[in-house]
Amino acid sequence: MDTVLKINHLSKNYGNIQAVRDVSLEVKKGEVYGILGPNGSGKTTTLAVVLGILNANGGSYQWFDEAFTKLARRRIGSLIETPNFYPYLTLWENLKIVATIKNASEKDINYALGVADLLKRKHTKFGHLSLGMKQRMSIASVLVGNPEVLVLDEPTNGLDPEGFAEVRKIIQSQAAEGKTIIIASHILDEVEKVCSHVAILKSGEIVANGKVGELLSSEETVFIQAENLYELEEILIRSGLASKIYMKDEDLAVVLESDHNSTELSKFCFEKGFPLSKIVVKKQSLEDQFLQLVK
Amino acid sequence: MRKLFNIEKIKALSYPAFKTLMIIHFLLFFLVILIVSRQHITIPGFSIKGLYEFPNIWKFFPWVASWFNIFLTIVLITLVGNEFTYKTFRQNVIDGLSRNDLVKGKLILIFSIAIYTFLMVLLAVLIFGFLKSDEISFSKMIESSHLILVYFIQAVGYMTLGLLFAVVFRNNGLSIILFLVYFPVEGILRLFFPSASRSFFPLKIISNLTPKPEFLTIASEKSYTSDSGASLLDFSEIGLLPEDLPLGITVFISIGYIGFFIALIYVLMNKRNL
Repeated sequence: MDTVLKINHLSKNYGNIQAVRDVSLEVKKGEVYGILGPNGSGKTTTLAVVLGILNANGGSYQWFDEAFTKLARRRIGSLIETPNFYPYLTLWENLKIVATIKNASEKDINYALGVADLLKRKHTKFGHLSLGMKQRMSIASVLVGNPEVLVLDEPTNGLDPEGFAEVRKIIQSQAAEGKTIIIASHILDEVEKVCSHVAILKSGEIVANGKVGELLSSEETVFIQAENLYELEEILIRSGLASKIYMKDEDLAVVLESDHNSTELSKFCFEKGFPLSKIVVKKQSLEDQFLQLVK
Repeated sequence: MRKLFNIEKIKALSYPAFKTLMIIHFLLFFLVILIVSRQHITIPGFSIKGLYEFPNIWKFFPWVASWFNIFLTIVLITLVGNEFTYKTFRQNVIDGLSRNDLVKGKLILIFSIAIYTFLMVLLAVLIFGFLKSDEISFSKMIESSHLILVYFIQAVGYMTLGLLFAVVFRNNGLSIILFLVYFPVEGILRLFFPSASRSFFPLKIISNLTPKPEFLTIASEKSYTSDSGASLLDFSEIGLLPEDLPLGITVFISIGYIGFFIALIYVLMNKRNL
């Protein structure tokens, strides 16, 4: 499969603060790649560097297996952080600038405005739009020129649930057309529902990377309750049954080793004098995985 | 180039403040030359009417217009500052322009504004020159006409310096204030240098491109001249009058400064984060 983006050992500092450290990843054609991480984890900085807005302090990146040229840029539609448009220009005028840069036609502008449901507002000044509409305008600008790759940084920022669903629909329809999509977000649900691959960033470093399905199905978590949970936690740590144990809300979450199951866990607890009052088996969600990784 | 010009055209012409300021610039220039034309000041060897006749008009109108170059520079700083404020330079790069394209776009804008003001002054010179000159001959008409080209270089010079301020400070208010403050600051700095080198400072050299017309100099000096004919003030010494660098050298050094400013702008735009 063709490589769309390859990042090698990328680093970026802001003074003494290392915002991105030694990040390496590869996005293949047709993938919907999520970059997940809490605020300040380096998601936006990573994207800003590979889009040429920020200069890297170390490492390298390639788009489409070559240096990042102007032509390569025009094959990419990007939204980074907040919508950046001229507030005194209308939506049409703003997109005309984008279309001129990308050698796109006026038909493309209408198409993009139509997809973002902004066709009726095309003569409204950008500064007069609500936050949600501004975000939709950003989506429209990303689509101008029908780019092969979409880079979306927090694409659902400021959107209401309806707008959220609309953006998700747009992303899914673009992915169905075979486009490569890179999404940075701290919203786990967003990434889990639309992405095929995910990289999890923490303090500027990648702590997990792979297919969403693989990350999710790798482990099962059993949520248990019993009297004296803390004592039970100590016993379970020494038992070799679990790979991870942590408290979640009122429950003790036990991530079992692959050769053990919940029945064995229940039997083990009973034998040790801790009959379980609750046992719920959950396939680990991305949220659980994420929270453990970024803790 | 054409693409960059089209982009700058949308950015500038659709900006209401730009249109308003350019109209004000146009009106102010014509208002000043109209008001002055209605004054009846007579000093021996000097009359207001003479300023509007060929070839004097080629010196007088660019000199008047040169004061408004500062106004045009402020307009330019505002346009460039907006790009940083609204992070639209970033967006332009994301969409496919290179950082060098951003600089080229603004240089195209500078040249476009300079061409506009050049044409405005040319139009005014031709209209007033034909209306006010008693005798019009081709030789008189074109004598000193090269000064309007020098005025064009001056407009480019001021605006390039303004662009440098905007790129360094990335903030409309700060860039405009510091650009304006730079005028007296450079004036004070010049005093610490030998008078031979004072003319080589960037603002001084650029402003000397449109020197005060000779007849105005004579008029000003007369009011500071003693009965014996000796000048009571050394205008050159206190920096009120341009020193005697030949125009060719002034143009050459000014173009050098413009090139230096542009090179600095390219370096800054490529080295710094957007």
